[in-house]
Amino acid sequence: MADHSEYFAKVAQAVENSDKEGCLRLLDEGGDIDPLDILEQGLGRGIRKVGDDFGAEIVFLPELIGAADVMKAGVAVLDARIKASGRARGSQGTIIIGTVKGDIHDIGKSVVGSMLQAHGYDVIDLGIDVDDEAFIAAAIENDADCIGMSSLLTLNIDYMGVVVDKLEDKGLRNKVKVIVGGAPVTQEFADEIGADAFGWDASDAVKKMQQLLGT
Amino acid sequence: MEGFTGKRVGTAFAITEEDCLQIHKAVVRVLETGGMRCDDPRAAKLYEQAGCKMEDDGKLVKIPEHVIEAAFTTCPSDFTIYGREPRNDVAIGKGEVHFATMTGRYIRDLYTGERRKVTRQDAIDGARMADALDNVHGLYKSVMWIYDEPKIINSQILVGEMMKNTTKGMTWVYNTGAPNEIPDLVKIWQIAAGGEEELRKKPHVLGHVIINPPRVVDVNYTDWMIGFCDAGIPITVYSATMAGATGPATLGGMMVQVIAEAVALVVLAQAYKPGHPLCFCSFNPSMDMRSGLWSFGNPEYSTLGTGIAKMANHYGVPCVAFGNTDSCETDQQTAYEKALVLFNYALAGISLTWTMGGTAGFNFVTWDQMVIDNEVASFIGHYLKGIRVDAERLSEDLILKVGPLPGSYMNEEHTRKWYRREFLIPKLSNRDFFETWERGHTELQDKAKEKARAILETHESPVPQAVQDEIDDYLAYVRERDVDQTAK
Repeated sequence: MADHSEYFAKVAQAVENSDKEGCLRLLDEGGDIDPLDILEQGLGRGIRKVGDDFGAEIVFLPELIGAADVMKAGVAVLDARIKASGRARGSQGTIIIGTVKGDIHDIGKSVVGSMLQAHGYDVIDLGIDVDDEAFIAAAIENDADCIGMSSLLTLNIDYMGVVVDKLEDKGLRNKVKVIVGGAPVTQEFADEIGADAFGWDASDAVKKMQQLLGT
Repeated sequence: MEGFTGKRVGTAFAITEEDCLQIHKAVVRVLETGGMRCDDPRAAKLYEQAGCKMEDDGKLVKIPEHVIEAAFTTCPSDFTIYGREPRNDVAIGKGEVHFATMTGRYIRDLYTGERRKVTRQDAIDGARMADALDNVHGLYKSVMWIYDEPKIINSQILVGEMMKNTTKGMTWVYNTGAPNEIPDLVKIWQIAAGGEEELRKKPHVLGHVIINPPRVVDVNYTDWMIGFCDAGIPITVYSATMAGATGPATLGGMMVQVIAEAVALVVLAQAYKPGHPLCFCSFNPSMDMRSGLWSFGNPEYSTLGTGIAKMANHYGVPCVAFGNTDSCETDQQTAYEKALVLFNYALAGISLTWTMGGTAGFNFVTWDQMVIDNEVASFIGHYLKGIRVDAERLSEDLILKVGPLPGSYMNEEHTRKWYRREFLIPKLSNRDFFETWERGHTELQDKAKEKARAILETHESPVPQAVQDEIDDYLAYVRERDVDQTAK
């Protein structure tokens, strides 16, 4: 079995350096290597290192966002190869994320998405100003395990309760978990609206997802 | 009311005259070649009428330099935020420095010490505190909004209670977006002023019109621009751009973008109502790259503010500012961050800064902090005077008369005449020697709390009862229309 550890280290480094061009070039060159291995030992390793460094305040948001962007591009390339080989990428679960209706802040939500993706979750990011219908339609269409909602505006967080209620009405509440977050969101608020979990920050969101889905 | 003046006002900025020219050139390039995204067709029409180049079906506006220049020629170089009593008039753009209140969603209860969400009573208390304190020259929202009243009439109740409890001027930023918010607030301000024409003649409000960054003219603030201009309310135009997130991570780049955004609003406002008074505003922090939140306490914030003030000078319009800190308690961090920001602004001659009573970036107010900030304002006012040099103050004859030791100035008429004018006599700050202090003292914050309680227990609203009743009647009507009827 060929030893690709040096190659994987280079891929990881490209992620850590927010080097999208370099990463895609490496993936191009690594066409013969098992894409699942590149995903886990190259991209995955890189993004996890960035996540750890972020937690330790060695790198900050720009590096995290840059790395996540490289990860996203790399995953797209590798997913195509994995699919073409007739296999499937294992997933820890599928989550729909978005910033709720009335709010356009998206950085926190995107960071959470990247961290979840780094930890093996399938993340469908609906973007900003997302209403209840859109959240639920996406959850149904993607057979999602969880809806994750974010908001930075204190006046908008109540809308998260609207989405939870809608899930109840549609009889989906038992199937689809709900996790919430955002600067003005608290555990107390999450309990009030009947959410299953509340993430303090991106790392906490990952932990809570792992607890929620048992993955 | 007279603001703080002196030889040090407008003497220190983060940029030079040469920098202004370079920044302006870059602003023109951004506006001429990149333009602004325009989400509001009314705004698009105004831009077109002003001579801008419209693309993408009016959704992209490119603003040529001659349009920018023309817009500034119709801007007044100064204006007044009137008090509803002349003693509370505040001159903007005349070399006076003023301070006003800050807002919060949370408060530390003055009596119980509990940290809790703000209520209608806090909105009233905040207005009365501001009315009573001498160095408070105006108000921002006395609380951010009122947690124990419905959202749909929240702004109306907040403004109503403020107008019932003070005659000092106020400022307003778009709050709940409720359908009747603009006409209702204008109506309340008109009642407070004594009528529609009275508000137009002597507006006691400064309205905010803001770009959605980067570079978007949106529907909400076009609504507010029209509402404020139609009512005769002067405006401040700026963006909420945050370095590293919605603006460049260089302060020079931030200057280009935020000034381009402000200039775009100047063009819009002057197209809608030529000659309408306006000013720039400092509201541009860097993003804290750990939390993703804005940082008002970091040096970038007020450094950019003094750059904006200098560019305002360059264009011949005034400048105002928000002054805040990131501490979540009224502590040492609040003290140093606030002092640095406010002193920086004062040296740049910023006409009005909303700051008093607040910390935690718009999230937390306490009335004792307002009392402390009132004292800090007097310190800054004193610093701004600098050293006044004139024949009488030079005191040459006196110095020669008193002579060397054993000569003393203590019993001189000159000392009795001058010490109160030349020295600050602080009300709260400790001046005791250490051993005296050790024997017994009251903590600064407790002194401030005592003063705040005394105000709340004794200070009466200066607003005539008839005006208060008319405001109450209007609030009752608004409640009936938006809450009671809807519930039926």
